[in-house]
Order: sequence, then structure tokens, then C-alpha cells
Amino acid sequence: MITVTIDGQKTEVEKETTILKAADKLGIKIPTLCYNELIEPYAACRLCIVEVIRGKRSRLVTACNYPLRQPVEVRTNSERVMKLRRMNLELLMARAPAAKIVRELAAEMGIEKTRFTIDNPEETCILCGLCVQVCENLVGTGAISFTDRGPDRKVATPYDVTSDACILCGACAHFCPTGHIQMTDIEERILHSELTLGPNTAISIPFRQAIPNAPRINPDYCIHMKTGGCEICSQVCPKECINYDDKDEFEEIEVSAVIVATGFQDFDPAPMKQFGYGKYANVLSAGEFEQMNNAASPTSGRIVLENGEEPRSIAILHCIGSRDDNYHKYCSRVCCMYALKFAHLVKEKTEAEVYQLYIDMRAFGKGYEEFYQRLLSEGVHVIRGKGAEIIPAPPDESSEGNLLVHCEDTLISKFREIPVDMVILCTALEARKDAPELARKLNISTGADGWYIEAHPKLAPVSTTTDGIYLAGACQGPKDIPDSVAQGAAAAGHVIKILNQGELLMDAAYAVIQEEYCSGCKMCNGLCPYTAISFDEEKKVSVINAALCKACGTCVAACPSGAIVARHFTDEQIYAQIEGILV
Amino acid sequence: MKPYRANLMLCAGTGCVSNHSFLVREALEKEIKKRGLENEIQVVITGCDGFCAEGPLLIVQPENIFYCRLTEKDVPLLVEEHFIKGRPVKKLMYTPPDAKAPVPKMNDIGFFKGQMLVALRNRGLIDPENIDEAIARDAYKAIAKVLTSMSPEEVIQEIKDSGLRGRGGGGFPTGIKWESCRNAEGEPKYVICNADEGDPGAFMDRNIIESDPHSVLEGMVIGAYAIGVSEGYVYIRHEYPLARDRLHIAIDQARDYGLLGKNIFDTGFNFDIEIVRGAGAFVCGESTALMASIEGRVGEPRAKYVHTVEHGLWNLPTCLNNVETWANVPGIINRGAEWFASIGTGDISESPWGGSKGTKVFSLTGKVYNTGLVEVPMGITLRDIVFEVGGGIPDGKEFKSVQTGGPSGGFLPADLLDLQVDFEQLTEAGSMMGSGGMVVMDEDNCMVDMARYFLAFTQGESCGKCTPCRDGVKAMLEILIRITEGKGVEEDLDLLEELSHFVIDSSLCALGGSAPNPVLTSLKYFREEYEAHIRDKKCPARACRQLNVYTIDPEICVSKGHGCGVCRRECPDNAITGEKNKTHFINQDACEKCGVCFDVCKFDAIQIT
Repeated sequence: MITVTIDGQKTEVEKETTILKAADKLGIKIPTLCYNELIEPYAACRLCIVEVIRGKRSRLVTACNYPLRQPVEVRTNSERVMKLRRMNLELLMARAPAAKIVRELAAEMGIEKTRFTIDNPEETCILCGLCVQVCENLVGTGAISFTDRGPDRKVATPYDVTSDACILCGACAHFCPTGHIQMTDIEERILHSELTLGPNTAISIPFRQAIPNAPRINPDYCIHMKTGGCEICSQVCPKECINYDDKDEFEEIEVSAVIVATGFQDFDPAPMKQFGYGKYANVLSAGEFEQMNNAASPTSGRIVLENGEEPRSIAILHCIGSRDDNYHKYCSRVCCMYALKFAHLVKEKTEAEVYQLYIDMRAFGKGYEEFYQRLLSEGVHVIRGKGAEIIPAPPDESSEGNLLVHCEDTLISKFREIPVDMVILCTALEARKDAPELARKLNISTGADGWYIEAHPKLAPVSTTTDGIYLAGACQGPKDIPDSVAQGAAAAGHVIKILNQGELLMDAAYAVIQEEYCSGCKMCNGLCPYTAISFDEEKKVSVINAALCKACGTCVAACPSGAIVARHFTDEQIYAQIEGILV
Repeated sequence: MKPYRANLMLCAGTGCVSNHSFLVREALEKEIKKRGLENEIQVVITGCDGFCAEGPLLIVQPENIFYCRLTEKDVPLLVEEHFIKGRPVKKLMYTPPDAKAPVPKMNDIGFFKGQMLVALRNRGLIDPENIDEAIARDAYKAIAKVLTSMSPEEVIQEIKDSGLRGRGGGGFPTGIKWESCRNAEGEPKYVICNADEGDPGAFMDRNIIESDPHSVLEGMVIGAYAIGVSEGYVYIRHEYPLARDRLHIAIDQARDYGLLGKNIFDTGFNFDIEIVRGAGAFVCGESTALMASIEGRVGEPRAKYVHTVEHGLWNLPTCLNNVETWANVPGIINRGAEWFASIGTGDISESPWGGSKGTKVFSLTGKVYNTGLVEVPMGITLRDIVFEVGGGIPDGKEFKSVQTGGPSGGFLPADLLDLQVDFEQLTEAGSMMGSGGMVVMDEDNCMVDMARYFLAFTQGESCGKCTPCRDGVKAMLEILIRITEGKGVEEDLDLLEELSHFVIDSSLCALGGSAPNPVLTSLKYFREEYEAHIRDKKCPARACRQLNVYTIDPEICVSKGHGCGVCRRECPDNAITGEKNKTHFINQDACEKCGVCFDVCKFDAIQIT
């Protein structure tokens, strides 16, 4: 340990501590531009130059990387230092006049204007090199670098073309102190969720109230998983919890019953070009708006536009992807009510006007119609007619919104053009893309829309055609929360019944193969939708597992030798029935 | 080796090769054969003699007769007269500027007389591509001495006692550097030879390698032994193909003889050298940038708060010395530290920084008669270098200034001509030793313009990493350009000074740290020139053309030139009117001040006011 004096204050530090860190300990702030504690000091901006005095010798050094080895006196604000700092900032102001951080630091020193030639008034890059350092040393990709030299130096990818080496991690943009580096989506899609709610980070708690409520690393975004570099999280975690070796694992669990509760997915409105989702930053999906309203969102639940201002008016467009011949013909059931809830929230939180553009208002449940009536009295505008198109409003001071919603008000048979600041699209609930895959695995079926089909719409709305597998919630079809809860409880009841019985009661009807007639052609094996038929290699005949068979009769009809009979539905029995009817 | 009646030592340095010395060699060999003298006379290709202005050079030994500016056409006459008839050819000899008769012997020529050869001891005497000739001149003898009779500590002590200081510019005591590197923790360690000589007009290192590569290799082996190193690098610019080739040949030959590689002289000491080519960035001559470049990274300097002798190449202890420093080492070992310390200035018994010992090689260029490479003892005055060795200023012009130390050296005025050349005195005067560039300027050079010129060079070669060097030097250059164009204002001088001190104080490496020297020294010693540019909008040396007013003296134009009209035809702006036999006029509104008329008028009718 050595004792150093910084600006008259004494402190004890370990040998090799940098002046910057020692000063920080004393609460003395030394301005820096190219320093970040996660990166080896680059010492390029020279803003942190301080005076080190030892005996009669005074020396100018950069605080960020000068290691303290002897008991010295440091002056961070002597006239000599301040003079250099002022000149430095003045020169940086000439280089990057649009860089806010430089202007602010200069203003602190009392510099308003630079005496030197400004080549580009729009320039924001101060050539601090943080981005290059991060990309090369932290991320380990080296996709960007300095090119050219002297005053022509700049940060670029090789030959200024989009680099394949870039892994789109965004670390350079994150570290850039002036905002010179911006992320643009390669397909030119703006993701409002990322702009307002922050980028998808590689390390996050999967969703709110997740169990366990612990962060996990998403290998698709994690720089370390891609390049082996970074490791910032493990550096900052005080409890050393980060384990990069932890990998996804497959586990096999034996169960007696399965409840399928895989839910739905949001319809992606981007292909409906007329609504400009992804093109205009203030066109949001219902899910994004809901997220924004959450108190734990980056906006703390405030309803704001992309530029941070409060909207003056909001349009809520119903039936986006629902009740639409081109997308989904069905009604998504829940949108009308949540759209009314949104309107209520907007009215509660802001002064904005709200327009509801609907085809039919379906407020069908207990208390729902009353809620609708209440909203009407709150002054929400309801327009019967589906939103047709959203275009940017022409730049005009007097305009009441930055977007224009085109629609037909069918009640007054007029086309209308409504200026709004924000549009919320009530996107359809649709079956998960991977629903058919799971259906195949579980031997259950999906309908044309992809929703799972129940065993019987009225008599068995929770069961599936496979015994022991039950459905709950929106995986079966659009459903609101009370309905989902009810179905879930029903499914649980079924399961408890099975678990208590310890055995399944089978249907007496199933197919059997008469071995003496079976030619062993295996045709039935592939046909069985319940994979109940297998081939006995010893006897060279096919065999039906009676527990799996649902007596659907497919194999019976298909067997070329007529070797398969369905119990209780044999040809003789059916002929006898026909005869009975005819006689 | 076979004895010959005469050895024709033909210079094959880059300068002479460019002036076709290889053609002269062919012609000589052909002619000697033709005359049947091949058993009596031998042509030897040597390294540079340093007198590049007069190349191609040929020295006939043992008579020490010096021939210069030879062409292949001169060869038959030379062979006939000198080698058959025994009459040295006077018209091919060197005649000093003001003398009437030529000086036949090399050692009598002023250029050579004032020199003292230590680093360049073998120049012009050996074929650099033949190790046997080097060995005949005691090459590698010092290695034998060191490896068989001295401990590493003794070698370091010897170098410390000699007072040898880094010849690359910094002047750091070599012995101390070696000792720190030896004591530093980390294995393996490295030695590097910095041959990335980038100063415009400077070619000391190139010359040493071209004329005696073995002296550098030998120095490195000794250093490696003293420090405890088994791997070395020579970082040489790609623009030095001849030097590189000769170095390659020398390394191969030394390896063949067991002077490099494993188990040198059967002592168990291993050391080998690898050549790394630089791509020509000036900043890569800076030690940390050079090491970054060897590692394959962008050549950018880093702060040296942690010394390279502790954390250098690949973060391991590294001792980097310049070509000339290494070349001095064998001589010190062979002849002893005392001999070396007897040359030069100051007293090193108290502090190794107390004096400048030995010799220094300078490349003397600019407005002097004898441009070329000279090795002079430390402590020689600038006057001796410029007027004795350099032969003075041509065309009867007045000496104005000399810049020492390369593009970032300061301009020293005539008052300081009696300054002794050593590290401390040059620094005190605002200049520096640098790597040994020396540019002489006469009355026709504008000091503002010269400062602008050298600053433009340093700006172009700045890596751009740190703000002061990148943007500070740029701002300074903009002001200087403004002044040379007559747009300067009074406050510019204070601003220039302020910027200069800022750049010196805050730059990351010595490139920025010394770049303002030409500006500061010209402001100090030639301030009136700046003031003339700013106040009177005039350039006293008439070098800043934008400030000149070109007129035609009607008298001379008609009487001497008979209105020849060359100026009218050459003027790119069609600003000159006139007819044959009549005087011409310059339309001042159309004149862009390019100065072509002044350059083309044979009758000096164009006048500058």
C-alpha cells in the first residue's frame, strides 16, 4: 500500500492502482471519453491528463492508465492541466461538433465555441476507440477497426461494406459515448419493442413471474457463446453465479397423464403492409402496448410515443388478422374486451383521444356489456368500420397526429381520415406454429386453423382422442382468462381421477388381427393414426395393441386380406344390423 | 585470398546503384578482361561511401584514389590511363566547390577528412555480401571475446562504461536498457533491431545495413548474450529492398558459419534472428507501435508507463535498439569502453545522461555542397558539419538554418552554428538529436513554409490515435497554411504557441510530442518572418508564392530577352501579354502566382516584390 495525495486529499491505495481509480475512491471526478472500466485503458482522448508531482519534478500523465507506484502528489485541476483540457475539448468540438458529451464537457469548462475549423457540423464520432476496443477485445470479433490515419482516421468495417464478421451484438453501439453508432435492422424493420422497451439482452429472466425467477443466458444473443469473449456478466456478478458451461438438457419423465396448455401466439401484422407495422415506430401490436403499460416496463407503465412524448390521440384497430378471409376467418374472442380495457387505461393515464375501429362489438360475458357502456360515457370514440390503411401525416404544425388512419364509418356511410399519434393493432390469436408437431408426438389432432381438437365439442371439451391427454386454455381455440382457468381446472380434475384410479378403463371396441389370414404385408402398420399396430418379426404377422386402438376402422377397411376385424363391429354384425333395418 | 595489384572499390549503395553503378561495374569488368588485367585488378562491390551527391564512386586501393560521377563511357579511358599507363585520370576526380585543382586522394577530401568511422568502420572497404571480407576486418571477433571470456554482467558493465546512448532519437543509455531487460521477469525475452527509418531524407540505418550488415548482427548477438535472449527480430521497411536482401544474405552466411543459430562457438549459447518487413508507416518506428506491428496488429503506439523492457513484444521483456546503436556495440567490445568514452562530450561518471559519447551518423541534405552520409564524433560543432564536411552552401547563398533530428527536429539559426552536437545541447536549443537527419536551409527557404512542410509530413504520418497529435497538429497546420497564404492574423502566433505546447504536453507518443518543434523553434529564432507574413503580407524569402507579386522588368525583357514570350506561353492563367521584341506585362488580376514565369525566364526579367 502507498499513500498518495490527490488534490490535497490523502488516500491509501494498492501499488499499480491507476490515478483514475484512486481519484474515484476519493470522489474526485476526472473527465474521460475513451475510458471504460471493462476495457483496458486506451489513453487516446488525453482528456484525463493530470499532473504528477514528485519532489521538484512535475509530470503530465493520463490518469486512466498511469499506475501509482510511489507516494506522489497528483493534481487533477491545476491551471496547467485545465489549460490542456480546455484545448483538448476545443479541438474535439471542431472534430465532432454534434457530439453532445463533448459539448457538455466543454460547457462545464466555460467553452461555448471552438476557434478551429469545423469540417463536418454533423459529425459525432470523437474517435475514442471504445467501439473498436470492445469489438476486438471484449466481443472478440474484430468486425470494425480504425482505417486510414491522422486526421482522416475513422471507424469502419473493411472496405466500408457490411461485414459478415459482425455478429450484430450491438456492443459497439452500447459503448459509444456519443451515439455515433446506431443499430439498424438489416431488413429495415424497426422493432418498437426494442426501441421503447430496450434491446433483447442475452441475459434475462425469461418472463415476468417466471419460476425459478432467475436470469438465464440466451445463447442466440450471448456474445460469449458466439465468440468466447465478453464475459462482462461474470465480471460484474458479485456472487459468481454465472456458469457458461450450463447447457440445455433433455430429460425423460414417465407420466400417467398429460395436460396440453401450450397457449396461442400473436398474429404478426407486418405482412399487412397497409397498417405499416414495423415501418412506423408508433404503430404497436396489442402485446407491445400491454407490455408498455406494465409498471415494470422501461417506461414504468407510462404511455409514450417513440420520442418519449405523450400521445395526443390513439386509434385502436380491431380484428387485425381475425375475421379476415385472407388470414383467419374466426373471431379471436378476446380483442373487443381488451381493446375497451386499453381505451380505459389511456383515458385514465393520459389526456389522449381514443378511437375504436370495430366491425362488431362483441361484449358477450357477464358485466362486459356494462363495461362497454361505461366506456362510451367516458368519451371513447367508437367507429363501426374496419381500419383500412395507416399513412404518415403530412408535416403540418396544425395536424393533431403524426399518422392518419383511413376507414369507412359504416354507420354514417362516410370515409374518414383520423389523425392520431399512436395506433394499436388488436392482433389475432393464432395457433402456435409448432402445434402440429406436438400433435404428432401426442397423437392428438389439430383443425384447419391449427387449434387442437377436443374429443367432442359438447360432451368432451377437455379430452382428446388419446386417453390420458387433456387440453386446457387457448391451445384449443381463442379463449379469455376465465375460460382458460375453467378449462384448466377441468383438465386437472380428469387427471386427478386417473391418478386416483391407478388404471384406465378401456373401451370394449378395438380391432384385432386374425393371424391365420394376415399375409404380413404391413400395409396397416403405417395407416394407423394411433400407432397401435406393429409387426411381429417372429410370426411374420402384424399385431394390434388393444390399449392404443381407438377402433376407428381404418385398418379394417384397408386390409387386403380382410384379416382385421373390429370387435363389436364385425362384418357379420354390421350386415345383421343392415338386415334388421331393411326387414 | 588472392592478392591483386589494385582493388577497385565500387560503391553499391542505393544512391550509386540508382546512378547506374552496376553498369559501371559491368563495363569495368569487361574492359579489364579485354585488356587482360583480370589477374591483376579486381572490382569489389562495396557498401555506401556516404558521398551520395557525387556517385557512382570508385576508390582505387591501395592508392586511395577517389573517382566520382562515373559513367560506363568513362571506363575505357580510366582503365587505359590509370591501370595501363599508370596515370590517374584527373577529370574523373573530385574537385571541391571553390578549388581549381581536383583532390586525388579520398582521405584528403574535406567530406571524408572530418569524419570518424565507428559504426561505419567497414564502409567502402568490404563487399557486404561476403562474410569472409567482413571477418577479415574483425567482424564477429567481439562475439568470440564475449562468449568465451566475459559474463553477461561484464558485457553490460562495459556498455554502461562506454556511455553509449540510443541512436534512434531518445538517447536512452543502452547499458541501462540492457540491464533492466535482463532483470525483468518473464521468459522468453526478445531483442529487436529497429530499421524502420522513416525520416524523409534520412538514410543512416539503410546505409549501415547496406555497407556492413554484419556489424548489426554482431551487435545483436552480443546484446542477446548480455540480456539472455535467444530470439531477435530486425524490423525493416519494405522500401529498403537492397538493405533487406543484404541482411538476408548476411544472416544466411552467419548461420552457415555457426555465428547465428544453435550453440554459437560451441558455448551452448543459442540465438537466431528473423527479419520482419514494415509497410512504411512512419509511426511504426516508435517502439510500441513497432512491436504491435510485429505482433500483426495495427501499428499504434501505447503509453509507456509500463516499459517495453518489462512488457514489450507479446507482453514479454523486450530490448529494442536502433541499427546504429547495435552497430556501435562490436567496436566497444573490441576496443574497450574507455576508448569509446574518450570520444564525445560530457562526463558520464555521475550519471549516464551526463554526456554524449562516441560518434553519430548524420545524413546531410538540403542546401550544402556535399550531401551524403557522414559519421562525426559527438561534440563536433554544427559549423564544422555544415561548412567543413558539408562544404558550405552552394551558389554563394547565405546560410539560414539547419534542422537536426528529422521532420520533428527544430530549426537552429546561424547564431547557434557553434553549438556542439550532443543530446543535451541540441535539446536545450529546441531541437533534438533524433535519428540523425540534418537538413541545411539557405536564404531562399522561408522558415514559415519549412515549418508548414514538416508539419504536413507529421500530420500525414500521425496514426490518429490521440487527440493532440491528430487534431492539434491539424489545427496548427491550418494556421500555418493560412499564414503562408497571407491570411494570418496577429493572434495566430499566440495560438500556434499555445497549440504547440498542448500537443507536446498531451500527445501519447514522441511523434506528437516532438512534432511542434519546427514551429516552436522557427517562432523562437525566426519570428520576424512570421510577422512579415502576417503584418506586411510578404514572404521575405519569396518562397510563399501566394504572397509574391510577379512583375516584368521592361528594360531586361526587351534588351536581354527581346520579348521572347516564353513566360507568355507557359503562363497557365494567360495572365501575360506582349509581343516579340516588346516588353511583356503581367495582368495582376489574372495572375494565380504559380511562379512558372519566374522559373522559365532565362534573363531574370521576372521580378518578385
